[in-house]
Amino acid sequence: MNVVALRWVHRNLFAKPFDAVLSVFVIPISAWVIYAFAKWVLVDARWHVLTGSMRVLMVGIYPVDQLWRAWFSVTVLSAMLGAGLGLSMQPPRRLLAVLAILGAAAGIIASFSVGAAHGALITASAWIGVGVWQAVSLSVRARRLAAPAMLLGLAAIFFVFSPPGLETWGGLLLSVILTLTTSVLTLPFGILLAFGRQSRIASLRVICTAYIEIMRSVPLILVVYWIWIVVPLLAPNTSVPSLLRGMAGFALFYAAYVAEYVRSGLQALPKGQVEAANSLGMSTWTINVDIVLPQALRVVVPALVGQVLDIFNGATLVFIIGLTDFLRAGQMILADPQNSGRIYEIYVFLLAVYFTVGATITYASRRLEAYLARGAR
Amino acid sequence: MSIQTTDIPFSGPPRHRLLLLTRRYLQQAAIVGVAVALVVWFGCSVRHALAQKGIQFSFGYLWNSAGISLSEGVVIAFEGLRPILRPFSSTDTNAQALLAGLGNTLKVTLSAILLSTAFGTIVGIGRLSTNWLVRNLSFGLVECVRNTPLLIQIVFWYFAVVLRFPPADAASSWFGGLIASRSGVFLPGIAVSDVASPVSWSLLVCGFGAAFAALFVGHRATKAALCAASAAAVTGSIIVGFPLALDLPVATRFGANGGTVLTPEMTAILLAIVVNSSAYVAEIVRGAIDALPKGQWEASAALGLSRSHTLRDIILPQVFRVVLPSFANRYISLTKDTSLGIAIGYPDLFNVSGTVSNQTGRNLEGVIIVMLTYLVLSWIISACMNLINARANARGGS
Repeated sequence: MNVVALRWVHRNLFAKPFDAVLSVFVIPISAWVIYAFAKWVLVDARWHVLTGSMRVLMVGIYPVDQLWRAWFSVTVLSAMLGAGLGLSMQPPRRLLAVLAILGAAAGIIASFSVGAAHGALITASAWIGVGVWQAVSLSVRARRLAAPAMLLGLAAIFFVFSPPGLETWGGLLLSVILTLTTSVLTLPFGILLAFGRQSRIASLRVICTAYIEIMRSVPLILVVYWIWIVVPLLAPNTSVPSLLRGMAGFALFYAAYVAEYVRSGLQALPKGQVEAANSLGMSTWTINVDIVLPQALRVVVPALVGQVLDIFNGATLVFIIGLTDFLRAGQMILADPQNSGRIYEIYVFLLAVYFTVGATITYASRRLEAYLARGAR
Repeated sequence: MSIQTTDIPFSGPPRHRLLLLTRRYLQQAAIVGVAVALVVWFGCSVRHALAQKGIQFSFGYLWNSAGISLSEGVVIAFEGLRPILRPFSSTDTNAQALLAGLGNTLKVTLSAILLSTAFGTIVGIGRLSTNWLVRNLSFGLVECVRNTPLLIQIVFWYFAVVLRFPPADAASSWFGGLIASRSGVFLPGIAVSDVASPVSWSLLVCGFGAAFAALFVGHRATKAALCAASAAAVTGSIIVGFPLALDLPVATRFGANGGTVLTPEMTAILLAIVVNSSAYVAEIVRGAIDALPKGQWEASAALGLSRSHTLRDIILPQVFRVVLPSFANRYISLTKDTSLGIAIGYPDLFNVSGTVSNQTGRNLEGVIIVMLTYLVLSWIISACMNLINARANARGGS
């Protein structure tokens, strides 16, 4: 055993003089960083600041007596997340078991800090997510139903979550809902733009190209801000909630990126297919909807999943229009003088959550790419 | 190319052909009509809404006095006829405030482009290192950066790192010339001596000009001649009395004197954007190296070249030709990312424009100006990169 370990160390760290020099410099530094971080996490950090402010981080200023709405949304979200993951990768049984146990563990921890009912709810929604994951990945029919079911879930969330007022939405839940809604909204708009850019009608082509190019060369924060100030000018007598204006800004911005992805998918399609369909006498509409689009979208699905991550990361920018997303909620907690010294605890928690979500989406998109590549071979 | 169908055949009877043509023109006219109607509707409603508030759409406010103060930013002013750079003051016009903001944006953008290209290339090579630890550390860095939002990275660097530096009177000083303190980072700068003669100045400028020209000349003998001329000119300028000197900062009780100072905001946003962008540059470089045929490594190993030689003389020159278009995209994203400086109060173009708009109520005009500026910046970057790309690929010729 020792010999194997020594050989591994030699081959991987000291194989060549240059590697040895690098190792001599890097090993002590990384050991020190790991030691310092571990010491901080286990000894110095005061994590109770998190348990005390978890509600603000998760749902912002949502009214306490209406929290059951948030819990309902979390349950639906976890089911949707489970379905998404189940669609994008065939889950190994072991991973499912681990996730189910993790959900139960999170529930138990939560029941100590925020009460047994919430703990049970967290466990239940984690298990529902895992269950849906398993169901979706097994059944072909479930796959076909996935898209309408997701839309239905999103609508249900909006229906249940919105009565207390869109301006009370906040925290991680706001970021997630914003991400999901925007991802869904960008798709049809982006597809239309992509077809417009490829159209044989010159004026349509020019307009779509200009739109895509302009959106792609200005910052997202500027687009969101611009929509936010323009909407009240366009509809002076109605007050459109900031959240909807923000969503519109996100959708208009990311549609340009979706359009470019879809265009790359359209270009990857062999020209012969369209010609063959033409010679069969199919109409342009049938060709595009039944033949071109399904194949083009199939190619770009991993890119679109990666785009969801971009939108989730971009959702932090809604601070510019005064919404309290996850990051902003964290800063709100730090603004309380009682918590001012706990800056590292809050930021490390925020970064850890973002990293977990981001790494999951990246992993899913990579698995999906491999899966689709295998199907196309 | 159209996706839908092959082109409409123009070989039918003349009447049929006329019908098709008419239909096509009607289609075009309808689309243009809808677009124009949308724009007109948009313009009219905005105009109407503004009129109700008693505001008229105009850019005249740009020439009014700004009445705001910026934490950093310089404007060009004229002392007699000689142009000088001086700090922005609240009596300057709104246009000058926007220009100072643009200057700050460009300052961050250019530094970040240079630093992230260098640092990112190193990390990208690190991801392919034969050393397990280096390889996985680079991988971890890239993954951490790419999976977390840039905004939280910027906020983290500012509140949790830069503002936690020691206060100015206890600031650490590294390498003799670098002082990191809560009130900013002090770097060695270049000082211009007042006594230098015009002769030494002109010699220096000629020297730099020749060196710059040598970069863009393909012919080898001309290049050598230009390099020699540059060296001679700089030497001459040193003999006559060199006009530039290294200016090291010295820590004092209330900060530091001399050198170049980076404000805490500038430090934070630069750090955040450089680290963030480096991760993406690293992925581009790694992808390009991976995409090269494996046979090249094997062939050069068979020739007895070491790994570092192979990398420097065979792999990297090819990689840089491949990655230039991706780098152009990266640089454009980076330029747009600087607009997030508003979260920590860095007075970049977007932030300054927001302040000016708040002062004057000119939101719409402000956003239009900023949008056009970013558009132009993107175009400039892609034009420059296209130029470099064309040169790099013309020289190699494949």
